[in-house]
Amino acid sequence: MEKRESLWEAYLRRGFSRRSFLKGCVALTSLMGLSTDMFSKVVEAAETKPLPVVVWIHGHECTGCDESFIRSGAPLASDVVLSSIALEYDHLLSAACGAPFEAHLDETIAKYNGQYILCVEGAVATKDSGVYCMSGGHTFTHLLAKAAKGAAAIIAYGSCAAYGGIQAAKPNPTGSAGIEHFVGGKPVVKVPGCPPIPEVMTGVVMHVALFGSLPPCDADGRPKQFFGNRIHDTCYRRPFFDAGMFAETFDDAGAKAGWCLYKLGCRGPETYNSCGNLRWWQGMSYPIQSGAPCIGCSNAKFWDEDPFTSRLPQYGKLGDVDKIGAALGVLTAAGVAGHAVASIVQRNQRENLIDEDHHE
Amino acid sequence: MQHVVVDPITRIEGHLRVEVTVDETTGTVTDAISSGTAWRGLELVMKDRDPRDAWAYIQRICGVCTTAHALASVRSVEDALGIAIPLNANYIRNIMAATLTVQDHLIHFYHLHALDWVSPVEALNADPAKTAELQVAVLNAYRLDLKVPEEVNTEAYPHDFPAATPQYFASIKAKVQAIVASGQLGIFSAHWWDHPDYKLLPPEVHLMAVAHYLEMLDKQREIITPHVVFGGKNPHPHYVVGGVPCAISLTDGNAPINTARLAIVDRAVNMARDLVNNYYLPDLVAIGVIYAKAGRVDGGGLARERVMAFGDYPLNGYSGTSNGGGYFENLLVRSNGVVENFAQGVEKAVFTPITAEDLKSPDIISEGVEHAWYEYPESAGKDLHPWKGITKDKFTGPKTGTPTMWETLNEGGKYSWLKTPKWKGKLCEVGPLAHYIVIYTKAAKGQLPDPTWAEQMMLKQIEVVSTVLGVPAHVWMPTMLGRTACRCLDAQLAAEVNKFFFDKLIANLKTGDTTTMNNEKWTPDTWAPECMGVGLYEAPRGGLSHWVCIKDGKIDNYQCIVPTTWNACPRDDKAGHGAYELAMMTTHVADPTKPLEIPKVIRSFDPCLACATHMYNAKGEEIHIISTDPYGR
Repeated sequence: MEKRESLWEAYLRRGFSRRSFLKGCVALTSLMGLSTDMFSKVVEAAETKPLPVVVWIHGHECTGCDESFIRSGAPLASDVVLSSIALEYDHLLSAACGAPFEAHLDETIAKYNGQYILCVEGAVATKDSGVYCMSGGHTFTHLLAKAAKGAAAIIAYGSCAAYGGIQAAKPNPTGSAGIEHFVGGKPVVKVPGCPPIPEVMTGVVMHVALFGSLPPCDADGRPKQFFGNRIHDTCYRRPFFDAGMFAETFDDAGAKAGWCLYKLGCRGPETYNSCGNLRWWQGMSYPIQSGAPCIGCSNAKFWDEDPFTSRLPQYGKLGDVDKIGAALGVLTAAGVAGHAVASIVQRNQRENLIDEDHHE
Repeated sequence: MQHVVVDPITRIEGHLRVEVTVDETTGTVTDAISSGTAWRGLELVMKDRDPRDAWAYIQRICGVCTTAHALASVRSVEDALGIAIPLNANYIRNIMAATLTVQDHLIHFYHLHALDWVSPVEALNADPAKTAELQVAVLNAYRLDLKVPEEVNTEAYPHDFPAATPQYFASIKAKVQAIVASGQLGIFSAHWWDHPDYKLLPPEVHLMAVAHYLEMLDKQREIITPHVVFGGKNPHPHYVVGGVPCAISLTDGNAPINTARLAIVDRAVNMARDLVNNYYLPDLVAIGVIYAKAGRVDGGGLARERVMAFGDYPLNGYSGTSNGGGYFENLLVRSNGVVENFAQGVEKAVFTPITAEDLKSPDIISEGVEHAWYEYPESAGKDLHPWKGITKDKFTGPKTGTPTMWETLNEGGKYSWLKTPKWKGKLCEVGPLAHYIVIYTKAAKGQLPDPTWAEQMMLKQIEVVSTVLGVPAHVWMPTMLGRTACRCLDAQLAAEVNKFFFDKLIANLKTGDTTTMNNEKWTPDTWAPECMGVGLYEAPRGGLSHWVCIKDGKIDNYQCIVPTTWNACPRDDKAGHGAYELAMMTTHVADPTKPLEIPKVIRSFDPCLACATHMYNAKGEEIHIISTDPYGR
């Protein structure tokens, strides 16, 4: 097998200084949400690991994840694509097409067998042997199985690859599903979101690229560093929830004052994502900050948890949301635990409602 | 004769396959197939949902032209319900739409289309000092100084300006050299870099374009920030039926939109203008001039015969499109209509307007399925208006190969998941080229009374480009090059439209009006038990229409007829070939073993296939109102 280049060697080849290399490592350390004492590990990884090969394939999708990826502010898309990884196959950016492009995929899979990172965007269309998603004259199921076989790591980018996404919403006409069960039993890192935050996307692939291992994940396969908190727990409008101050309608006085959007259907209380802490465009905004209730786009079945602008079902035993908010405002110490309970109750109620709906 | 398959077509959105038959002795394409090879059934997913949520679902048709479907969707629901949105909401939506157009066209040119014209391999032969000189010459010759009459220019100096120094281009060249030397070509792997077309341009143009490819890859994210400010994120910003979700307050401490947030938008508006005026347009003209002078004005196809547009940017208040709400009477760019026979000269061209009544007429817009993997019952007739549409799948597999392993598709039978949309039984090309041809023709025929500043700017753009290229408009416009050039002109226009509506937003806020939402018909108890509507948007890829039918507070049917469906549709036995197929059939192929011209002419349309594939009902049941496809930009 031919020797592959490390990030440090790449810097040398491109004539960059040790200083700029270390600066790059500093940026990556903070990008991945690691503490500064991890810096030496990042440097070590960047010096010794080969420049990773990435194969990016598309199933049933909208290319919004690709687009999000190239919106990354740190690292910048050009740096990732040309200096940090070797993106050998991607429908959006690759120059080649047709037969030579497909042949290059086969060569890449063979040459880097067991070494490449497979990024998957989009769901698997399973119905009727997969004829509803064809590329290069073959089904996407065929392509996925082929590409997964020799992959060192598999990243499911976006809610479609992670859980099936929009096309899997009822009635799921094409039998679409997440990729998990179609990759030969290999572990899948799930990066849900519709789309995921740009820096989350580049952060995950850079983690794999730099450390040569999957990022620490929760039981569902989501990287803990990006999906460890509910948006509600990190939301800058949380104090208004606790104080019982809500926007009742779009553009009312509460909406103008930036109060909590819970009553307009916000899914922040049950959605695990980095919108509240990283935000979009490196802190510029996220839907709630722009006045739009969260639709829970990183949740597994969020498309069938509609209507989005209805408030969640009443709390039941816990009583009305205003009372809860006010009560928790007083009992701040109990606040976090109380909300955790409340959101579980809500979710159960919503699922019950959905079930009833389905059985109508 | 050689049968050539190109599948997948890359640097587009979605899954597209083309097959062409080439006479290798002459380079003539004698037949061509365009096939959408995937569909997701999103319109079916829409059934029984809350119409106020429709934008969120249907926006997921496409993440490249994100916002396009959300905008058409809220417009369709508001048309059905008769909701007039507040002025601020109209201005903000227009800024988001124009922002999308600039950014989308910019990405298309540099990251999806440029590598059909320029090559990093050729850039290695460039002299960095000469490239710097070229950059200066290009800026001197090809900056088109066309602007909206603006209230105030908030930019002290052009913050985003091309570097024209030998050192800069030397560093870009060194980077490309290092990548090529490493043997790991990444995104540049396996392409036909030895195609003769890459020798048309001097090496310095290649190096300049490669530098700008990299710069724009990093800059594109900064001009889309109005979506992040107003819609919370991008791709897929948030919308709301009745207005915009971003409440405005200049007095509250935690408002979604305040002066500081507007300043972010202002910066993005200025930046978009700089990037188009200082990079995109000069680069485009620099490449276009060489191609035009080499006589490369092929690939026109259907644009020579028939183009269609819807027009856009409602200026002020309106309450609907098909419901008599004044949408068409209130547009900044009145390109709603069809132009036929433009290639024969504007004197012989025929213009026919599209009106609100036309949208509702059963005979104007229809769809056929002769060569699409669907079937209509015999009693239904050959073509159906979208509101009477039936969608029943009939996958017949390829001509040779198996259903899951295709060799060749069946041009005599069914071969695509796209239906064939028609205007008065005829096929039309849509897109920025169509948009410009319609305005140009209307003006020439005296049917554009009191042209708006935007329409005047479009006419001026066409005049200037015709002069620079040294070719009359009816010759250069309906071509592969013209399609790519008009997209750039559209980006320049959209950058000014952004500024125009930003100024209008500020002026309206000055009056004390901060309203962003009309809540009068928010709750379903205020809606008619049954109603239907149409939402139009002149998307980056052309005229987009969404058709919704609401019954008892839920979506009964939802359909989108998307620009790529108009362009990429399969043939019709009576009406002939669609725009992609005809464009391929009017393109010269130098070497069938390296058919670079084929994906190149296809990319001149900026394909968006996820948008174009149809809805489908698994049980083959009749779906009352619609059935088509979505997508667009």
